[in-house]
Amino acid sequence: MTDAALVADVAIWLFGGGSVVAAWLVFRTDSMVRAAYWLLASFVAVGMVMVLLQARFLGLVLVLMMAGEMTIMAAFMVMFMMNPAGLNPMSMVHQHTTAKVAGVVAFAGLAFVGLVAEFPDRPVDPASEPTAELGEELLGDSMLIFETAGVTLLATMIGAIAIAGKRGRFGNAQEGSAPPPVDPDAPAGPDAHPSPMHGGHGGHGGMHH
Amino acid sequence: MNWSAPLPGVVLVGTVLVAGAYVASVLDAGAARLVAGRPLRVGELVAGPWREAALLARIRRSTTERPDAQTWALAPALLAAMAGVAVATVPLAPGVAVADVDDGIVLFGAAMAVVMVGAFLHGWSSNSVFPLVGGYRFVALALSYEMPLALVLIAAALPAQSLSVGAIVESQQGLWNVVRQPLGLPLFLVAGMGLAFWGPLGMSDGADLAGGTGVEASGPDRLAWALARHFVLVAVAVMGAAVFLGGWQGPGLPGALWMAIKTLVLLAVVVGVGHRVARIRLERFVVVAWAVLIPLALVDVFASGALAL
Repeated sequence: MTDAALVADVAIWLFGGGSVVAAWLVFRTDSMVRAAYWLLASFVAVGMVMVLLQARFLGLVLVLMMAGEMTIMAAFMVMFMMNPAGLNPMSMVHQHTTAKVAGVVAFAGLAFVGLVAEFPDRPVDPASEPTAELGEELLGDSMLIFETAGVTLLATMIGAIAIAGKRGRFGNAQEGSAPPPVDPDAPAGPDAHPSPMHGGHGGHGGMHH
Repeated sequence: MNWSAPLPGVVLVGTVLVAGAYVASVLDAGAARLVAGRPLRVGELVAGPWREAALLARIRRSTTERPDAQTWALAPALLAAMAGVAVATVPLAPGVAVADVDDGIVLFGAAMAVVMVGAFLHGWSSNSVFPLVGGYRFVALALSYEMPLALVLIAAALPAQSLSVGAIVESQQGLWNVVRQPLGLPLFLVAGMGLAFWGPLGMSDGADLAGGTGVEASGPDRLAWALARHFVLVAVAVMGAAVFLGGWQGPGLPGALWMAIKTLVLLAVVVGVGHRVARIRLERFVVVAWAVLIPLALVDVFASGALAL
């Protein structure tokens, strides 16, 4: 039993240190995709610390959610930056002064709390069932809070899709777009062709304005 | 024997994955011959995977211009490791489980989410066009099958009143989930085919992309990627056998044998479908997944919940 406790202690320190190192590497790497996945590595390490602290369900769900979310984030960053595949080197840091001030203030604040706060020392009862207790909490006393948050997030997602969709509230997304001109010297755009809307080709011209 | 000790655990999971991958690959070659109406030459089929592996191991590796070499090497390792994690949560016989933890199917879900990271990175890291397109295809595919997968697993956990795979197996005493929740297994297998980018859902490594994420991999790299993909398929079959086909339970034969037979049946089904059903266009699958599969999975959850109450 002491062996298991020792392994758990060592593992907590390894994962805790690993999460910090991975988070630091987010800013040391030169690619958006690598940055996203170093962040994922940091989250996974935090999830493992949570698992070791007996919050197994929450720790595993963190890994499950973050694996998908970091992938989506990487895909969107590459799309918005128009950087072919995010493999071109680019700096991951900007606004140096603000970042330094924010970093120092955050570190000082957290260090102060860490030194002053009195942390509880309550070992988890091995017989307790943290997942079941979490379920009781989510669907018991705190149900109103979590349901409100959940429904709000769902409404936000539906709203975002409604606005961003091809037939969203701002009208047809392809309106006014035109396929790229066949003649390379001709200007692109709706006036370049006698009939600008070719069914199925509109998507190619969306960025030409 | 204490199967959750490090050495026996690794040996057990490794044996299941390697044996399963070998059998799946023999089945695949056999199904290809059956479909083509060619004679089944058992000797050739049995030797086939070994010959292919030996050939790939001897072919020279190739590289691309400025790849992310570490990530490229990490991708198959990530898939293989996550397949191992998934198999570890499943009891393979009464009392024989490496890590039948009380949040087993959540652990399975987390491992399968990391498979998406591995497949995307395999496409991204070679710094080449077709693999990258394949990687993006896998992400779109994964985001579409992930919800049905999570929902059918939740439905299977409801009658067991537990997230542990062992408890889910026990809960099927007398009535397997494949009968109790008829929507569960088909939806699970669709998601499983997506996880291993197999057959109709093999668009990330499809021939229309000249091989997709695997285009630039050659020799041992190609072997590692093929093995990792087979490992994921085996993990899906093992989990499907435990969660929907009653796991090790069955009359007469020992539990481990029942588990092997059920896993084999699921492997045969997936491999057979892979040879009988054409590859689907990704856009069409995304629409079907969100408009048909997720509502069906929700019906599965609600019906299973009502039955369990």
